[in-house]
Amino acid sequence: MNRFIAWLFRIPWVLILSTFFLVFVGALALFSASEGSWSPWAERQLLRASIGALLLVFIAVIPVRWLYDWSYLGLVLAILFLGLLQFLGFGAGATRWIAVGPFNFQPSEPAKLAVVLALARYFASVTPEQMQSLVTYLPALGLILVPFSLVIIQPDLGTSMMLLVGSLSVVFAAGVPRRFLAVGLVLAASAIPVLWMQLYDYQKARIMTFLDPGSDALGAGYQIAQSKIALGSGGIFGKGFLQGSQSQLNYLPEKQTDFVFTMIGEEFGFVGNVVILFVYSLILLSVLITALRCQNKFSRLICIGVSMMIFLYMFVNVGMVTGLLPVVGAPLPLISYGGTAMLTVFLGLGMVVNSAVNSKVSDTELLK
Amino acid sequence: MKKRKEQRELSSVMTRRMLMIGAGQFVLGAGLVGRLYQLQIAQSDDYQELSDRNQFDQRLVLAPRGRLLDSRGRLLAGNSEVFELMLLPSRVKNVDLWLRRVQRFIDLRPNDIRRIKQKISKQPDFLEVTVKSNLTQRELARLAILSPVLEGASFQKSFRRIYPQGWMTAHITGYVSPANKRDVEKNPKLRYLPGSRIGRSGIEQTLDKELGGTLGVERVEVNARGKPVRVLEDRPAVSGEDINLTIDIELQSFAAERLRRGKSETVQLATSDVQKALLNDAELRAHVTTGDTLVLRDEKGRLIPPESGAVTVMDVETGEIKAMVSTPGFDPNLFTGRLSVRDWRRMNEHPRTPLLNRATSGLYAPGSTFKMAVVAAALEANVISTSSKIECEGSFEFGNRTFHCWNEDGHGFVDAFSSLERSCDIYYYQIALKTGINKINDMARRMGLGEVTGVGIPAERSGIIPNRDWKLENRGVPWTPGETVVAGIGQGFVLTTPLQLAVMTARIANGRYAVEPRLYKGQSEGDGFAPLNINSSILSVLKRGMRQVMNGPLGTARYHDLPEFGGIAGKTGTVQVKRITKEQRELGIIDNIDRPWKERDHALFVAYAPVDKPKYAISVIVEHGGSGSSMAAPIAHDILEYMFKSDQRQAV
Repeated sequence: MNRFIAWLFRIPWVLILSTFFLVFVGALALFSASEGSWSPWAERQLLRASIGALLLVFIAVIPVRWLYDWSYLGLVLAILFLGLLQFLGFGAGATRWIAVGPFNFQPSEPAKLAVVLALARYFASVTPEQMQSLVTYLPALGLILVPFSLVIIQPDLGTSMMLLVGSLSVVFAAGVPRRFLAVGLVLAASAIPVLWMQLYDYQKARIMTFLDPGSDALGAGYQIAQSKIALGSGGIFGKGFLQGSQSQLNYLPEKQTDFVFTMIGEEFGFVGNVVILFVYSLILLSVLITALRCQNKFSRLICIGVSMMIFLYMFVNVGMVTGLLPVVGAPLPLISYGGTAMLTVFLGLGMVVNSAVNSKVSDTELLK
Repeated sequence: MKKRKEQRELSSVMTRRMLMIGAGQFVLGAGLVGRLYQLQIAQSDDYQELSDRNQFDQRLVLAPRGRLLDSRGRLLAGNSEVFELMLLPSRVKNVDLWLRRVQRFIDLRPNDIRRIKQKISKQPDFLEVTVKSNLTQRELARLAILSPVLEGASFQKSFRRIYPQGWMTAHITGYVSPANKRDVEKNPKLRYLPGSRIGRSGIEQTLDKELGGTLGVERVEVNARGKPVRVLEDRPAVSGEDINLTIDIELQSFAAERLRRGKSETVQLATSDVQKALLNDAELRAHVTTGDTLVLRDEKGRLIPPESGAVTVMDVETGEIKAMVSTPGFDPNLFTGRLSVRDWRRMNEHPRTPLLNRATSGLYAPGSTFKMAVVAAALEANVISTSSKIECEGSFEFGNRTFHCWNEDGHGFVDAFSSLERSCDIYYYQIALKTGINKINDMARRMGLGEVTGVGIPAERSGIIPNRDWKLENRGVPWTPGETVVAGIGQGFVLTTPLQLAVMTARIANGRYAVEPRLYKGQSEGDGFAPLNINSSILSVLKRGMRQVMNGPLGTARYHDLPEFGGIAGKTGTVQVKRITKEQRELGIIDNIDRPWKERDHALFVAYAPVDKPKYAISVIVEHGGSGSSMAAPIAHDILEYMFKSDQRQAV
């Protein structure tokens, strides 16, 4: 009994309550996006969130050792699905989706998590001496670059960049010596012109549009301009629930997915938006504290990976709708309409909760 | 030992780096808050203005409403293009002056001006106001010349709903009218669409969503004077779906005219005696002022308006409604613009309620047309057999009341077949008592009575098929056997719609499944009809009895059969509207034609044809028409004859 109570206390409740708050806000936003109706979006989103919650609980209660054992298998599966996409996938102008029964599934989302898991396992077994040797990082780079290249050829620039930044953060957190970091930065900088050559025209256009939004009034620039108008006209307290003229009159595109933050901003204003950012920061803080408390490297690196994944989703999305970043198509985690991203976030949070309840497990215990 | 130390060092490096990541996230997140502050607080006013301007720079384009077509693609409701003169208040300094200028070219009444100014004061000045819709060619040309010096004026193409068949199909198509306050509350977009129309009744209301289409968005580039320079189409409007109705407009108009004529002759409106009658007869005047030119002379030489009532014709296999007439009708075109108070009063105060769709919402006691349900219930309950005979002596004592047969001399010995043929009331009083109201109720419901048919007309009524529970619930007192006796001849509490009577007849004729009425193509397609669940031997008794009504030596409609097209099976009904008192009965009942119109009996007739391979079912009701056999049956005969002849023509 006492052990059960101790276990209960180890669960990061702030994280769980914040998660449900965001899901609830998302359902309300989707209700508003369909002009005050539960169908088609809000009810399906709530159904997915319930499935996500079950997934979270399942991942949270399994022994951490299982996660450790399955981690490479997860990456193999993710690479397999990403490879399959080249044959079976579909999507507007890019092959991002795969049909699994009645569901459309976007393998690049869980792939981010799979890379984090695999890297965490890899670095968990690396000794401090090995950390000083360049050879140690070659397999790690392989774990990152294979899924990265499969995502970038879809082509999905946004997701592949998030995957890259997220997984490099894990490597960074694992304790790469500073001299290697410097070399890495120089290499990355010199790769930019090469990458630019490889970009598709529409990707170049998006980046150019971002640099000069007026140049393309009806395309991506139009979306950003309308998004900024919607956010700005919301003011401090917003126009009220279901009252956003930009959203309700359809000037705002994709208001149920990528631009849901804008719609919330138009209807609930600066206050509404800041409350949402605050709740995200509660989640991120809770994940960070969990990471610091954990006594094994594996769990710590998972927490950092999940934290970066959620942060990048949120940062890229909000940056995009406020005109700080190019339009790359990133959902607002837990709020935007869309199943795969939501389930991926729940899965990641499940791993964090797992880390929290197993924080006392040490490296030697885990590796033996 | 060294290893331990290295481990600890690495661990603290990791902790430091995790804190760095956390700090990085915090800084970037704070950057987002700063950006939100910039957009939503510092620059909010600018964006607020942009948002407002959005709403007029970018305007919503009305989609043309889908058309309603008859079964052969003929237009029942369509659109004609019209131009509207719009005023943008934010571009006009002096509205009064502006209006006075425009008034020299177009006709604006003080009422219109009041409406325009009221609208301007009520809404933001970047929203356009309609000054005049439906501009004539002449007005349009003159205004176009004026427009370069008339700031804030623009022309908008719009659609006007037209109903080429007018009153003939008014109850089926229904009508549309401009959005009112409540509509705008429900759908704020309508505020930006002065030209939008909402379906208010009939199919226009039922399929409002399908007919409505999807709004388009276009942006108008305006120069500094507010003149449109260029139109960019962001999203084209998608016009609404066309709906194919099952109605055949030729049949519909034949049936309507035939019903209206009744058994009277038409007269010329322009003659002096008609004009004189119009002065004296308020009812006739009410009728003529709605724009109808048909005036009749009845058998007593009196001038009367056309008959009111309903005709429903349906296919017994598919349930398709071929014609559904309700008279008097109204002109749906009157509603599409701004309905004038005068027109509204004429329709509302018309003594014969033209807005009521009698076919689906008119409630009538079915009278003797209900007898099929009663005899079927009795046969099913085994309280009679086909051969059991009951003696009719013209009246029947029950409790302390006397129930009369319509034939005071009595029918002698009557069985199931002859009871239908001759419509003997005494037979039905007695078998109803033996069967009991609950079993009659059960049978009537299976035949489609007492329930909304779901044909697709809003405000359809269910009527009443009573049973014991119904009486207790609605009247608070228990059912009495005397009420069963009256229900046996389809009077008392029993109320049905003309459409239900057509459905009942179609189900008897069909025999296999519970056919339901359909008014448009694609209406609940796929799910077949439920089985009828009435024994075929019972149905064949009904069919033989209904056949004898038309060809039996004493059949109540024996002069109205259609032998050249396979014969009709039918049933007449004559429904008492006013109770006949004992004294009146002793004095001798006054003929229908000599009573005031309101006190005459309703005339009903239901039928299907041809007898051996039923194709169509029909129900006819003529309000205060006298009797089913003399008024309703000949109308049904003529309509069926018309249908078979036109089928024959098409087959050739």
